[in-house]
Amino acid sequence: MAIAKRQLRFGAFFSVPGCHPTGWRHPDAICETDLDMRLLAEMARMAEHGKLDCMFFQDSVAIPGSTAVYGAKPFRVKNGRQAHIEPMSAIAALAAVTSRIGLVSTCTTSYNEPYNVARRFLTIDHISGGRAGWNLVTSQAEDEAVNFGRDAHFEHGVRYDRAAEFHDVVIGLWDSWEDDAFVRDKASGVWFDYDKMHILRHKGKHFTVRGPLNVARSPQGRPVVAQAGSSDIGMELAARTAEMVFTAQTTIKDGRDFRNEMHQRMDKFDRGPDHIRIFPGIMPIVGRTESEAQEKYEELRGMVDDGVGIAGVARLAGGVDIFACDPDGPLPELKPSNAARARQEMIIAMGKRGMTIRQIGRVLAMSQAHRVLYGTPKSLADDMQAWLEAGACDGFNLLFPHYPKPLEEWVTLVIPELQRRGIFRTEYEGKTFRENLGVPIPQNIHVKNRSSVPVRAAASND
Amino acid sequence: MTKRRLRLGGFFSVPGNHLAGWRHPDALVTADMDFQLYAHITQVAEAAKFDTIFFQDTVGVSGSRALARGERTRAKLSRTVKLEPTATLAALAMVTSRIGLVATATTTYNEPYNIARRFASIDHISGGRAGWNLVTSQIEDEAENFGFDEHMAHADRYERAAEFYEVVTGLWDSWEDDGLLRDKQSGVYMDRDKVHFLDHVGKYFKVKGPLNITRSPQGWPVVAQAGSSEAGRELAARTADVVFTAQTRIDEAKAFYADIKKRAARYGRGPDDIKIMPGLTPVLGHTMDEARETYEHLQSLMPDDVALQSLSHISGGLDLSKYPLDGPLPELPPSNAAKARQALVVKTARENNMTLRQIARHTAAGTGHRVLVGTPEYMADEMQVWLEQEAADGFNVVCNHYPRPFEDFCRLVVPELQRRGIFRTEYEGITLRENLGVRVPENRYTREARLAKIKEAS
Repeated sequence: MAIAKRQLRFGAFFSVPGCHPTGWRHPDAICETDLDMRLLAEMARMAEHGKLDCMFFQDSVAIPGSTAVYGAKPFRVKNGRQAHIEPMSAIAALAAVTSRIGLVSTCTTSYNEPYNVARRFLTIDHISGGRAGWNLVTSQAEDEAVNFGRDAHFEHGVRYDRAAEFHDVVIGLWDSWEDDAFVRDKASGVWFDYDKMHILRHKGKHFTVRGPLNVARSPQGRPVVAQAGSSDIGMELAARTAEMVFTAQTTIKDGRDFRNEMHQRMDKFDRGPDHIRIFPGIMPIVGRTESEAQEKYEELRGMVDDGVGIAGVARLAGGVDIFACDPDGPLPELKPSNAARARQEMIIAMGKRGMTIRQIGRVLAMSQAHRVLYGTPKSLADDMQAWLEAGACDGFNLLFPHYPKPLEEWVTLVIPELQRRGIFRTEYEGKTFRENLGVPIPQNIHVKNRSSVPVRAAASND
Repeated sequence: MTKRRLRLGGFFSVPGNHLAGWRHPDALVTADMDFQLYAHITQVAEAAKFDTIFFQDTVGVSGSRALARGERTRAKLSRTVKLEPTATLAALAMVTSRIGLVATATTTYNEPYNIARRFASIDHISGGRAGWNLVTSQIEDEAENFGFDEHMAHADRYERAAEFYEVVTGLWDSWEDDGLLRDKQSGVYMDRDKVHFLDHVGKYFKVKGPLNITRSPQGWPVVAQAGSSEAGRELAARTADVVFTAQTRIDEAKAFYADIKKRAARYGRGPDDIKIMPGLTPVLGHTMDEARETYEHLQSLMPDDVALQSLSHISGGLDLSKYPLDGPLPELPPSNAAKARQALVVKTARENNMTLRQIARHTAAGTGHRVLVGTPEYMADEMQVWLEQEAADGFNVVCNHYPRPFEDFCRLVVPELQRRGIFRTEYEGITLRENLGVRVPENRYTREARLAKIKEAS
């Protein structure tokens, strides 16, 4: 019997009205995708028609750039990312009009309470019949801090410490009730089985939460947990907790190294490669011919705004005033960033390769530094197949430059080519997001703890 | 003059507001977690032209302290788990087109930026049908899910709620209507002069803004409130578009109604700017006798321990199980949680010479709301009297279980109200504000600019 071929998986990354910050200027771009739910619903149906694993919504709890750096004016007026539907509300709405696709929303651990977050994701999981996912992030922009009573955002280490504890509280709450806790027996008048209820009683450094959660256990065991941290501390958290990782490697070698390292780190948590799916981001540009693809690429590259790019570099500069530097000169020595640490390392590497500030900025301002992949369906399939077979990924997150046309092209042109090659599904494998992603249903943590060590708090991970 | 008409809301308390309602043979016991049922009920309400469907909420399992202490009898309580209401509204918005969608969200354990954003999002998703029932958390079980041992004192909670409201409505005005340019030619997406920082610095919150979502189709989502205490009434009079209340007697309901409208007038608000909707639990029958039988049947399904538990959050900490069930309701120590509710229960028990068991069953049956047992005509009569005597602008229909009693109300009572011309036969508009007949608030920055222009011209 032949071993089943590994297949690609896809997340459609949603940063409406476009992942290319100024891609909304493209003639095909529909800018109203940022606030019009009907357009989001149409795209969800399209993505589901293409059998994509999930829609993956990005988020921040502020208008990006509303707090100006170094005396620049507030707001990045050329950037399309200004106002959008709050993504947890968006995925709840999409749950009502789709039936198979996974629905992932970002939600920060920095400015929320774990009880509220646990409750909302688990609710969306019930509404969708087991298709919800939580992209766990820490907030890294000043813009966000000032909306929540703080002058600056939390320091990198504290943020992750809080995130790790937040995660453990959420998991402990999600498992408040065993699968068969609710007997609802009219004759005896017993609603639930007291012994199948678990009260978390968490007391930690950042949170004190008693429980139980007022939502029954998920149809897929638990909502899927996604993460994007690629710093050392971020990878460690992902190795312990994530089931889906969104990354930004641009070469097969880097992709494979990252994936291998993640698998190695997972070992000590008794987790295997099948417990996690790693999705590097790509910005896809599809043409029917190579020259059409090349033209489309040039067109989008021509729309890149230098100012948006340099502002992007400034945000990662760790306090060095980039606006005071020659944009066509080298990237200066940066101070350690308290924002996105892995992304800062990425631009430092570009600087070492001899790129100027403007050039680095242009990479950020086109694809947020993700790999731009352009070509015909066949050449794109070749490229992705090579990544898959080299063990450099489990799939890709697709950062469409604008919406909805690039998504439609992906579904109608690229997906059939991958299906012909047998490296993408022709039907959803199951009903839940977990079944389709191929990650296992976790055992209820309280039951697990009861059967292994005597009463161990859900949060203790030492 | 056109006749005043009732407003109707479906108050959704799953799997039923009557604590033993779920044991009724018609009750659907999975009503608490099944979105399809939520969608069905909402569509039934929309077909009957209801103004709103409304979800109450608590951020915890009620009675969880007792559960944590090992009180196993609480395993008989059916209102344990449910869908979180704001996420539910977003989903319901996709399967309805006219009905208003209102959910409770507490000001005690949330951040105003998150709440402002979420309700504005639901308003966008629904095309202008969202409503926020602003509450302060009053169940002491909730505090321990958020790092507190006890609730904040009543006065602090209301002070926080008032400031929370200021921040949320301020954030809702962040964007003037023409703030998004999306001009592909010039490459400018937004007009920075039309987007405003709130820069709020208060006792409880410091929030800079702006909100990352534009002003919603109805300007602000509708704001509902349910506080009946002095602080609650004052906040409602100043800020609420809709007031939910528990009134069981017409004289008291009239006094409450007059009081809220009088207070509202002090804030420059007209009587039509604020709609008062008491709760009402229908127990229907084709005849009065049949209705009474149904009610007796329901009451008989209620175990004594469950009935007593319905008094626990207003008992002021007194253990009522130590008192004889056939004796009177003992004196209760003051409750920090639900002052108004406690006063109402005590008054009902004393006035009707009820035993502890009777007041417990009575409270468990309607959770303080008026229970109307009778025929559709009787129910319509009662509702009409309350409307005409200005005891109510409408009612929130609270059901004992689902879906049957709600379907019956829509099928039997609504047509009777329509025949009498006291309930709409078609929605007046598309947004909740249009249907409720409450004003769209003008954006504060647009108003400032407008007023400045007038001043300049004069």
